[in-house]
Amino acid sequence: MPKYSMAVDLERCQGCRACMTACKVENNTVVSNNWMYVFRFEEGSYPETEMSFLPRQCQHCDNAPCAKVCPVGARFKREDGIVLTDSDRCIGCRYCELACPYGVNYYNWQKPEKGQYDIVDWHDDDIQSATGGAIPPYRNPDLDELYGEEQRRTAGGGHAKGVIEKCTFCVHRVEKGLDPACADTCPTDALIFGDIEDPESPISLYLKDQSPWQLLEEAGTKPNVYYIGGKPPNKELKEIERPKATV
Amino acid sequence: MAVETRPDVGLPQGVGRLTLKWKAFLLVALAVLGFGLFAYGYEQANGMSVTSLRSTGTMGGATWGLYVVMVEYFIGVSLAGIVIAAVSRVFRIVELRPIARIAELLTVASLMVGLLAVIIDLGQPLRGIKNMLLYARPQSAFFGTFTLVAGGVFLSALAYLFLGGRRDAAELAEIPSRLQWFHRLWASGYTDSVDERDRHRRVMFWLSVGIVPLIVIALSTEGLVFGVQVGRPGWFGSLQGPDFLVLAAASGLANLVVLSAIVRRALGDWNRIDAAVFKWLGRFLLVAASAALYFMVVELFTLLYATPSDERQLADALLTGTYAWIFWLSIGLMTLGLGLLIAQAASSNWRIGTLVVASVAISTAALAERYLTVIPSQTHATLLPYDTGSYFPNWVEFSVVAGLFAFGALLIGLFMKVFPIIPMRDHLIPTQDDGVEATNA
Repeated sequence: MPKYSMAVDLERCQGCRACMTACKVENNTVVSNNWMYVFRFEEGSYPETEMSFLPRQCQHCDNAPCAKVCPVGARFKREDGIVLTDSDRCIGCRYCELACPYGVNYYNWQKPEKGQYDIVDWHDDDIQSATGGAIPPYRNPDLDELYGEEQRRTAGGGHAKGVIEKCTFCVHRVEKGLDPACADTCPTDALIFGDIEDPESPISLYLKDQSPWQLLEEAGTKPNVYYIGGKPPNKELKEIERPKATV
Repeated sequence: MAVETRPDVGLPQGVGRLTLKWKAFLLVALAVLGFGLFAYGYEQANGMSVTSLRSTGTMGGATWGLYVVMVEYFIGVSLAGIVIAAVSRVFRIVELRPIARIAELLTVASLMVGLLAVIIDLGQPLRGIKNMLLYARPQSAFFGTFTLVAGGVFLSALAYLFLGGRRDAAELAEIPSRLQWFHRLWASGYTDSVDERDRHRRVMFWLSVGIVPLIVIALSTEGLVFGVQVGRPGWFGSLQGPDFLVLAAASGLANLVVLSAIVRRALGDWNRIDAAVFKWLGRFLLVAASAALYFMVVELFTLLYATPSDERQLADALLTGTYAWIFWLSIGLMTLGLGLLIAQAASSNWRIGTLVVASVAISTAALAERYLTVIPSQTHATLLPYDTGSYFPNWVEFSVVAGLFAFGALLIGLFMKVFPIIPMRDHLIPTQDDGVEATNA
């Protein structure tokens, strides 16, 4: 059984946020929900300032606090290491969101189609005449399939209001042998995905002879995302250029 | 056997008689409940985005807000009622017997409202009820709310109220009235024979003994919902459970005092709640409020010495920042309430009006403390360097919560019109067949 993990090379990351956009397009998440999020940090005082970046997605923890607190087993960890949410079982209590120290869980505060790419009003007559009334204009059909041995609806976002969603490592792509959309899109190959149990996998080879660190390792969550280079975030860092993230 | 009767009225304590004042109360409560339902309907139609709730982290909000605060508050209030009813029975505190049913009713009503608040806070309420039956996981602290509180405590409290009222129901079932069918149903064949009475007394005794540890365990899980979270500064800790219980006792007793005072006034000539009842409640409240203030002061000192950056950020928000007014208000109100109680205890002069003022202050302080437990750790204590968040409830949340209060008030108000809220037996003259000895303090 593989164990899927991701490596994030902070020496390569240039903070372009292409991974965020790729995730959104692939998973049809609403505008406020950034399953993949890239912090842009500034440190120091002008003119002695330094910029750094930190991609932050679900850490797919081995000791996942979100899965432990879920009262109905909607949040669960598969044997291959991927932590998923069954959107048909989630009751919307949002306990997982509070249990997670990384802030990677996103709730659908309203009907997903209402918050989908809200740069235009999809109910506008002119827009509807161009789109043929489709709202949203595109829906990835793979997201409504059932995945895994459990055959549960776990892929993608935008399923219903009142449920929690988060990064799935693009389970619908992984089951086809593809990399997650973020890793596939990254122009500098800063995101490396694969089976960490396989010594010949790209991620194992990449991490070999490196000294990776994990986000909030002290929380005991045993994350499966490994960072290379850079340094763990601290409160001295000031976040700049925040993307729009409101409902 | 001393049973209340009045020659001019069929049923005692105004049962079955709809007075003008009661109709006015009904009208106001229904109006508030109706508006609360409208607000909830609006929320359901448009999603919870119409509330002030938002995701933590990148969205900079609080994902648990006023609804969860009210869950904690109402479920906390439920503690004192049933414990007072049980303690008065187990320790044979005769003076408390007139309010035993009020206490039981307060527990049932506050549990119903608290559990309703749980459902209201769910994004998928119907699915929540269904999936908790199909897929409940005991490993989740939420399991305590759904099983121990919703199942064990609520059903036990209902059984307690039912069994405790059966003897009165049997008496009322003999009186011709429009409610006779209801009283017969409640009596469910009970005829108050010596054997039945003895069996009944034993059942009630053991139920009293069993229900206290059950409710303590169940309500501790409410504290553990927060206490087992390592990912949120301010929550993780073994004291969350005991702290919840102590504050629950204080707020529950405070509400019991206020409700007893209201019932006393509402019953007029039928009133049998005398000063001795309030003296006992005042003493209990004094102990509970002292313990609650102790926990608050311990928390204050711990905050002052907080050094890790995340805990420090939370401490600043509470002591001098966004939440300082609520924090100091809660400490001030708890101190005020406790001060009034101490003054009365010292002078041995328990005045109902002063006790009610103290109770309102303590109950409000407890509500504020619940707010501070739930909210600041979400907006001001993220482990990753997200911007500070903010949350304050909006009109939708306030309206829904007002509706919950109105629903609770309606439950109690309606009960008073179908059943005597004070046990009909003369509590001041305990008899052998009551299984109570004269132990007046």
